[in-house]
Amino acid sequence: MTSQTTPQRNTAVESTGPTSTDRFSMAWFRDQLIRHAMVVVMLLIIAYFSYRSARFSTPDNLQTIAVAAAPFALIALGQTLVILTGGIDLSVGSIIALSAMSAAATVKGHPERLWLCVLVAMVVGLAAGSINGFLVAKVNVPPFIATLGMLTTASGLAYVIGHGAPINGLPTDFGKIANNQILGLQIPVVVMIVGIIAFALMMTRTSYGMRIYAVGGNPVAAQIAGVKTGRVLFSVYALSGLLAGLSGVMLASRVISGPPNLGEGYELDAIAAVVIGGASLLGGRGSVWGTALGLLLIQTLNNGLDILVVPAYWQSVIKGVLIVAAVAVDVWSARRRV
Amino acid sequence: MAGVLFECRDLTKAFGGVPVLKGISLAMDAGTVTALAGENGAGKSTMMKIASGQLRADRGEVLIEGQPLAHGDAHAAHRQGVAIVPQELASIMEMKVYENLFIGRELRSRAGILDRRAMVRRAAEQLAVFGVDIDPQAPMRSLSVGLRQLVEIAKSSSGGARVLMLDEPTSAISDREVERLYAVVDTLRKQGVAMLYTTHKMEEIRAIADRIVVLRDGGLVMDQPLTKVRDDDIVQAMIGRELEDLFPEVRPPGDEVGLEVAGLQVEGYGAPVDLTVRKGEIVGLAGLVGAGRTELLEAVFGVRRSSAGTVRVAGRAVRRNAPADSITRGMALVPEDRKGAGAVLTMNVLDNGSLPRLSSFTLGGWLRQRARGRVVKDAMSSVRLRSRGLGQSVGTLSGGNQQKVVLARWLTGHVDVLLLDEPTRGVDVGARSEIYRIITDLAASGMAVVMASSDMPEVLSLSHRAFVMRGGALVAELDRRQLSAPDVQETVFRLAAGLDSSRSPGAGADLVPTTSSPTEKDAR
Repeated sequence: MTSQTTPQRNTAVESTGPTSTDRFSMAWFRDQLIRHAMVVVMLLIIAYFSYRSARFSTPDNLQTIAVAAAPFALIALGQTLVILTGGIDLSVGSIIALSAMSAAATVKGHPERLWLCVLVAMVVGLAAGSINGFLVAKVNVPPFIATLGMLTTASGLAYVIGHGAPINGLPTDFGKIANNQILGLQIPVVVMIVGIIAFALMMTRTSYGMRIYAVGGNPVAAQIAGVKTGRVLFSVYALSGLLAGLSGVMLASRVISGPPNLGEGYELDAIAAVVIGGASLLGGRGSVWGTALGLLLIQTLNNGLDILVVPAYWQSVIKGVLIVAAVAVDVWSARRRV
Repeated sequence: MAGVLFECRDLTKAFGGVPVLKGISLAMDAGTVTALAGENGAGKSTMMKIASGQLRADRGEVLIEGQPLAHGDAHAAHRQGVAIVPQELASIMEMKVYENLFIGRELRSRAGILDRRAMVRRAAEQLAVFGVDIDPQAPMRSLSVGLRQLVEIAKSSSGGARVLMLDEPTSAISDREVERLYAVVDTLRKQGVAMLYTTHKMEEIRAIADRIVVLRDGGLVMDQPLTKVRDDDIVQAMIGRELEDLFPEVRPPGDEVGLEVAGLQVEGYGAPVDLTVRKGEIVGLAGLVGAGRTELLEAVFGVRRSSAGTVRVAGRAVRRNAPADSITRGMALVPEDRKGAGAVLTMNVLDNGSLPRLSSFTLGGWLRQRARGRVVKDAMSSVRLRSRGLGQSVGTLSGGNQQKVVLARWLTGHVDVLLLDEPTRGVDVGARSEIYRIITDLAASGMAVVMASSDMPEVLSLSHRAFVMRGGALVAELDRRQLSAPDVQETVFRLAAGLDSSRSPGAGADLVPTTSSPTEKDAR
């Protein structure tokens, strides 16, 4: 899951060591099973829910899962980049609230210009993320502290904008952002799919992606290789903020209001998705596909447990156990791989 | 003599199929010091780790007073009275001296509460045994490396150690501290402790050991009382071959100037540095630990701040403090700390290989995979990298092959100036001679090479010219003829230590070639 880079296996430079196991032999099969332990866990969960409820594996329900996943997907993508550099962004949940409130306030003042509120939300997110990036890259504040500060600050500002209350009575057109469809898919779902593909390509096919891996893997070595580590660090936090802003406006549009507590605790689900996806919190290891899989796992669980009418507090218990179990399996299989 | 206290029998160990120890047996009496000498990669560290119970041998056993040591269990070894003071000290910097001394066996009052006062008192007593004046209440951080080492020794010996391993204890401490260490070792000897002491410095062996054991390529090649052997014998045993075998021939340099450093003021160091290196020339930098060699190379390259001066590559000025600009102008740095600063261990060979010249492999930010794979493959082939392919993670390569990656990744583009910092540290003998050949080949192809090294034979045999550094300044220059002089080692040592350069005849015999590279822990 963590094989982020081009799998050019047989371009051996004076190849040594044993050749890999024969294809389709038992050993090969077992190797694949261990290598893709998380995918196996995922399939088992899907199989279980499908077996328990006929409603689970219907196109309608898949759409429901996708719609619920979209806002998480955006912040999880940002979080992936941040965690790959060895940092963490705790502020994304609050940035969602702040940008949602900004968007709601904007649309109230200018109901006819929908694009403006999207722009405002993104600018607000970018600004908050840039402050994080500045603090981490230039002032050398530890990422945990810098973004913890932003978590509190942005949350407070969200309440300031609404004078302590949600912004209601927004034009119904505001809901178009989240509910209109492109090619039969709701806009957030399209944004999610495009986002995942774009970020996956960015991380494996562009020099920017490789610099992120290098900074996370070994910042000193990256610097000696000419990578401007400060810029890379700044950019990942800024990007994370921008994506949180986009996520915020989509969430606000879905409920056609501006609740100041929107997105509360979302950062933890985003971090969980990244870590389930095989990323190391120490940086340098992880991938966008892994995050997408982790996200899917969490969202499938949420949805499936809802369908089975499991009480919310039990859902929380099950989710917690499964998150730890999934990562434990991954760590175990990584050790088997050597 | 109280008879044999510690014995190793037929210790054999291999890492990934590569034999590191080939049946080593040795015995130590109580109250003696045995020097364990050998080059990097000879197996000293592995030997120490097995003897102290940190590693399990594939075959053979370790006996303490006839009792077998529980292999692979450092705790059990500790209970049996075996302790090791590692080269990289494992002190807890944020805690106080007495806390470090008592960690894991804290003194408690009857109520079960920490008895700090008793610990401070006992700590003072224990440290007083060695005649050193350390405040038990001082934070560990405030102590020099030498003093921290003494605290570690005091910790092991007060814990009841009868067998003590000291892994290259002088590699990072000052001369004055070395004297104090000798005194401490003497005290322990009188207490009847058997000590195994790794070093490859001849003066140390002479000053401290009763017996000398030499390892070479995993085999035991000498085990003698020190009085019975001459220095030359020991060196011969350590190196095992003539230097000419290890080092390729030095080829004549070109005439054009490759690197020109003028008045470079490294931040935190006194004197500005001037240095000119011609194309095809290898210039060695010798000096003691802390002489400023690494700092100079880093400042020339731009990763360490310099406050004044100019750096020119092939006549063109390079912006100071801007590594990216240095790379564009054709400079390359192979840093001392391969794992900490050289390679990104989590990335594969291909990504590491393309990192320094990423922009040459991209089109509008997108990587050109095929071009990248081809160029990196060529570069890696040119240094004969042994890997499972470009997709192998660099963290899983051997030390020598990692170093080849760190070097070869620069060869994907044009290099005018190659800065090497301890290019063979932690690299085994076989790979080392390969790396020497690569370096001379690169110089012959027209690069200006600056090589900082603590390995004297390396500097003497590869360099066209060498500078001795002290306190951040170049204090002397030696040409090829001077580098070939029989007493050059002593000359260099005196210059590096800042001693009077006048000398009595014959004194040079005590300073034979030393291969002093402090870190051996990643040698496989």
